[in-house]
Amino acid sequence: MNRKRALISDTFKVKKRRNETQKFGAISDGDGPTDIRSTLEYLMTLFPRKLFNDSLPQIVMKHQLYSIHNDKTLVDKELNKLRERGELLMFQLGFDADAFGLVFTADYKAKVLAGEDGRPTRATVERFLEKLSSPCTELSFSKDKILKEFLFTDSEITQLVKSGVLTVRDAGSWWLSIPNSGKFTKYFIQGRKAVLGMVKKSKYSEVLKAELEERRTTSHVKFHMKYHIHDIVGAELVESIPTTSGTLLRHVES
Amino acid sequence: MLGFLTARQAGLDDPLRLRRAESTRRVLSLTLNPDREVDRIHGNGINTIDIEVIEGRYMLSGGADGVIVIYDLENYSGNLQYACKAVCTVGRSNRYVHKFSVETVQWYPYDTGMFVSSSFDKTMKVWDTETLKPAEVFEFEGNVYSHHLSPIARKHSLIAVGTKEPKIQLCDLKSGSRIHVLQGHKAEVLSVRWSPRYEHILATASADSKVKVWDVRRASGCLFTLDQHNGDKSKGASEAVNTAHNGRVNGLCFTGDGLYLLTTGTDDRMRLWNSATGENTLVNYGKVSNESRKKLQFTVSRGSSPELVFVPCESSVAAYALHTGELVTMLRGHYNNVDCCEFHPDYQELYSGGKDCNILAWIPALRAADVEEESKSANQAAADQSTVSTAFQDAWSSDED
Repeated sequence: MNRKRALISDTFKVKKRRNETQKFGAISDGDGPTDIRSTLEYLMTLFPRKLFNDSLPQIVMKHQLYSIHNDKTLVDKELNKLRERGELLMFQLGFDADAFGLVFTADYKAKVLAGEDGRPTRATVERFLEKLSSPCTELSFSKDKILKEFLFTDSEITQLVKSGVLTVRDAGSWWLSIPNSGKFTKYFIQGRKAVLGMVKKSKYSEVLKAELEERRTTSHVKFHMKYHIHDIVGAELVESIPTTSGTLLRHVES
Repeated sequence: MLGFLTARQAGLDDPLRLRRAESTRRVLSLTLNPDREVDRIHGNGINTIDIEVIEGRYMLSGGADGVIVIYDLENYSGNLQYACKAVCTVGRSNRYVHKFSVETVQWYPYDTGMFVSSSFDKTMKVWDTETLKPAEVFEFEGNVYSHHLSPIARKHSLIAVGTKEPKIQLCDLKSGSRIHVLQGHKAEVLSVRWSPRYEHILATASADSKVKVWDVRRASGCLFTLDQHNGDKSKGASEAVNTAHNGRVNGLCFTGDGLYLLTTGTDDRMRLWNSATGENTLVNYGKVSNESRKKLQFTVSRGSSPELVFVPCESSVAAYALHTGELVTMLRGHYNNVDCCEFHPDYQELYSGGKDCNILAWIPALRAADVEEESKSANQAAADQSTVSTAFQDAWSSDED
């Protein structure tokens, strides 16, 4: 980042704070304690529920939070606290080793049970969700664990896989997953590629964030533009540079 | 600043506090200075630099053409503007020069009479600085990526060598033997590093994504392997069990006190580990761009309060705060990829070398002049103008006419 003023360590800062804005175009960081939960709720509102006919719970990616809060380690710690309290569930979505999806536990349970209505596998899925409520901080389960700790049988495991709550990871272990999330992943990757393409094709491969939000999206981009922008900034696929006319997004050659 | 000085004078503050505050201020204000440069001797990229530990005066650099240069970093000229001169070079005309690129150079930790260099010509040479002839040559079966001598060892004088072979060889300087071998990795070993805290602890990083920590006195294998998920098998894919990174691990650096170990990998991540337990501290540095196929030499500052890690990131050097993971600043100045960087702890200076054949010196920026000093210098300039300006002096007519 280009800094016009030299960095001063905290110990040497003068006590009188002058009223000047040193950072221009930066998103308001705020001086108070970072509230991850409210940021999560804001990002969840960007998720298009109508697109999936309300069958999916609202999913937010972990790296979208990095685009709003500066301190990544703090964000990670807060997320772990929420997961330990049982309020948040994290999923390995599969298309990227680092892309984790976050869903509120209450949302997840409601949607999964709603999806299971009238199906014979409902009882097994309900039991599985009960086990999940004791704070579950794991993303995948091995066969041993399910058989012994959760006391499910083999056929019940097959039912869980059929209902979409578990997906195959490798022989004898499964990822926790969101049923019917295949469409979500497909639209997400498509939209990400389209938005990145828009940034790349711009002159000098850079676009003002405000301008990008105003642009007309092609049919490939099915999610809200802001959702994708948070995603590409947080995953560091574009560099976010503060300028006098707002934040500039520049494509990073890799 | 004056507050710190008076407190130190009155004994209210610990002496360390003033030192640490000033070191931190200096480390945070590193910048390129037109007054300081390093002689440009290398004709090809610079792969490695090392500053000696005893005086901090001499710097070694090894290049992609096999040339090794020794620079004198001290400024005895009295001028503000100073170019670090090359004292001597092992150039292409030297009979014993390495045939291919030099990958690692290191001074002998106890005096500058000796230094060790290893190269892609599958040899490691121990040089006598006075005569610039190798006193000992160790030959290996594969390219040598990295070697390291323990900076604190009293009971042994082993050099750990990482080569294309998956086993790590320990060469003894005293006897010349190389029978001690550490087995455990499955692919080439890209980086080896002794702990600056315990003289028998060695960390090695390999292209098989694993980092192993060894105690060389123990015959039975490594102490532990670093695991990025801290034993939580559910987090990653099942092939990623016990790996430190999701790609090749090509950089290792211990912090100054030896309590933490930093590793960088080609998955564009840098991780901080507790070196005693091997636990991943989960500090998130974000994307640390890393495309190096060989080892990456990076460094940690010493003596400042938020310690900074300086990592070469494509053509600039990124400085991250060690424990919080935030990007403090990017030092831009090189024209091409940066391969190595080294911190000079006494003067809080950073030297970085890269493919553009330059070694850049990053020096703490000077303090801005006070208002009083500025008016004094303005007065002096006015006084000077009364003497005749040189343009009007008669410089061409001779005295004969």
